[in-house]
Amino acid sequence: MNLHITTPEGTQDRLFSECLERRQVQNALVALFRRRGFSEVITPEVEYYDLFVQSGNPLPQESMLKIIDRSGKIMVMRPDCTAPIARVAATKLKGLALPQRLYYDETVFRSGNAHDGGSSEIAQCGVELIGASGKKADVEMVALAVDALRACGLEEFHIEVGHADFFRTLASRLDLSPEEMERMRSFIEGKNYAALNDMLENCRENPACEALARLPYLFGGVEVLREAEALAGPCRSLDYLAQLYGELDSAGYGQFVRFDLGLVHQIDYYTGVVFRGYAQGAGRPVLSGGRYDKLVEQFGRRAEATGFAVYVDEVSGCLSVTAPRLELVIHYGQGMLAQALEVLDAQAPGTCELSPCRTLSSTMNLAQEKGAARVLVLEKTGERWLEV
Amino acid sequence: MSERLKIALTKGRLQDKSVELFEEMGLDCSPVRSPGRRLIHPLPNYPLDAVLAKAPDVITYVQHGVCDLGVVGKDTILEKGGSFYEVLDLGFGRCRFALAVPKGSDFYGTYKTRRIASKYPEVTRAFFEKKGMDVDIVKIEGSVELAPILGLSDGIVDIVETGATLKENGLEPIEDVAQVSARLIVNTASMKLHKQQILEFISRCQQVLDSRRREG
Repeated sequence: MNLHITTPEGTQDRLFSECLERRQVQNALVALFRRRGFSEVITPEVEYYDLFVQSGNPLPQESMLKIIDRSGKIMVMRPDCTAPIARVAATKLKGLALPQRLYYDETVFRSGNAHDGGSSEIAQCGVELIGASGKKADVEMVALAVDALRACGLEEFHIEVGHADFFRTLASRLDLSPEEMERMRSFIEGKNYAALNDMLENCRENPACEALARLPYLFGGVEVLREAEALAGPCRSLDYLAQLYGELDSAGYGQFVRFDLGLVHQIDYYTGVVFRGYAQGAGRPVLSGGRYDKLVEQFGRRAEATGFAVYVDEVSGCLSVTAPRLELVIHYGQGMLAQALEVLDAQAPGTCELSPCRTLSSTMNLAQEKGAARVLVLEKTGERWLEV
Repeated sequence: MSERLKIALTKGRLQDKSVELFEEMGLDCSPVRSPGRRLIHPLPNYPLDAVLAKAPDVITYVQHGVCDLGVVGKDTILEKGGSFYEVLDLGFGRCRFALAVPKGSDFYGTYKTRRIASKYPEVTRAFFEKKGMDVDIVKIEGSVELAPILGLSDGIVDIVETGATLKENGLEPIEDVAQVSARLIVNTASMKLHKQQILEFISRCQQVLDSRRREG
C-alpha cells in the first residue's frame, strides 16, 4: 500500500519561528480586540453548506471543502467566519442588547486550485460589530483596522476605503441589465481599463459614463473624493466618505487612510463602507472588511453590522521573528529537580532545557549536538558551569 | 520613493513586441535584447527589472506579487484566470480563439455529445457552457489540429492567426470564441503601494499606444 506521509496540497506543517510569527500576530490582535470591548466567539469548524448559500456571500461552491454526513446532508469546512457569527447573533444572542462586539481567531478552509501555491487553511482573526449602523460605527471599525495592523508590528501599511453605494449610484444612472452591470463591475474590480472603455464607448454623452470610466483610477489619498465629486456630481456616498475621513483624520488616523472607489468586490453582500489593508512586503491584501447590513437578517433577526478580518499569515509574512536558540543545558543529580526547574524557569523561553541523560558525558554530547554553549551541573555538593 | 519594480514578460513573440513598445517609450532594453545567462535584467535608464517567463508563469509571478507588472496574452488570462489588475490592451499579439471543425462537417447538426480538443480546456468549457451545450473536452499539449484528423475529436478550440494551418489540414473556423491580444497586468497590492510609479508607467505605455493608433 502506498501510504501518504506528506501533508495534503494547500496545507502545511508550521514549525518553530513560523508558529511564533503567527502567534505573535494573533496575540497582538486578540489583546487589542479584548481591550476594545470585543468578546470571543468560537463557532464549529464544520457547518451546513446551506448556511453559506443562505448568507448571500458569493463564494463559489467549488471553493468550499465539503463533507457528507451520515444522514446525507452536505457540510462544509467553515469557508468564512462572518456567516457563522451572523447566525449566532441572530439565534443564540437574540435576547442580548445590541450592539454586540464579537471577535474570532480561527482558521477558514478553502479548496484552492492545484499548484497555485495558495493555502487551503487560512488563519483569520477578526471582529464583527453587530447591531450598529452609522458613521460612528464605521469610524470605529476603520480606526480599529489601523490599530490592528499597527499592533501586529507593521509599519508601512494603509487601509483603503470605498463605498458600495458609489458604484451602485453611478450604474443606476445608466440603463443596464443585471448581466451588463455585473460585467462592468468585474471590469472595474479588475481595473480592466480597456474592456471598461469599450463597454462605455456608446454612452459617452451620459456624465455617469465618464465617472464610471474613471472609477478604476479613483484610488489614492483623500483628493480622489474631490475628483470623484467633480465627475459624478454631489453624491451621498462621497459625502459620507469625506465625513468619515474628517473624523479619522482628527483622531490621528488620517495618514493611514486612503480611498479606492473602485473597490466593488462582492457588491451584493456589502451594503456600505468597504475597506482593505495593504502592507509593504505582502503581495495580497492583509485585511479585508466592510459593512453588511443584510446578512444577519438572512438568519431571522434584523441587525446592521460591520466587521473585518486580518489575514494572519499575510501579516506574519511581513514580520521576521527568529526562533530562540538553545544556550544552556541543565544536568541535575538525584534530588535536585526543584533547583533545576527553578533555573530553567528563570531563562528566556526556548534557550534552556533539562538533560534527560544519566551521565554527565552524555549530557555534554547532547549539548554539543544541539549547539548549546554551556552546561549547568546541579549536584547536592554544589553547582558547576561547563563550557561545551 | 522610486523603488525598482519588476516586470515579467512572456517569452517569445510577445517579448519582442514588448521590447519594441518599451523602447518607443524611451526605455533602454539592451539587457533584455541580449540576455545571456542572467535571469533578471535591470533596465539601465528606468527603475524596472525585467524577467522572462512562460505565459502562465507571468500570471503566477504577478498574482503572488513577486513581480509587480506583467505582459501576457489574453488567451492565457482567459485560460488561467486569477486575481490581478488587467490595465491595458497593448494592441500587439492580436489573434482570435476560434472553434474549427473538419471542412464540410455539420458540427451542430446532431444530438451526439461533441468532443473538442484544445490546449485551452477552461476557455472551451466556458464557451460551451454559455451555449448550454454539453461537450467532452480533451486536453492536447501539441498540435491540436491533429486531433480531428486522427478522429479523436469533432472539432478544436484554438488560437487562429491567419487560418493557413487550419486550411492545410482540412479544417475551417466556424465560430469566434474570443479576441486575444497582449495585456499589461498589475499585482493588486503593488498598484496600491506604488501607485505613482505604476500609473506613470501605464500612462507612458498609453501614450505610445495612442500615437501608434493615430499613425494607424
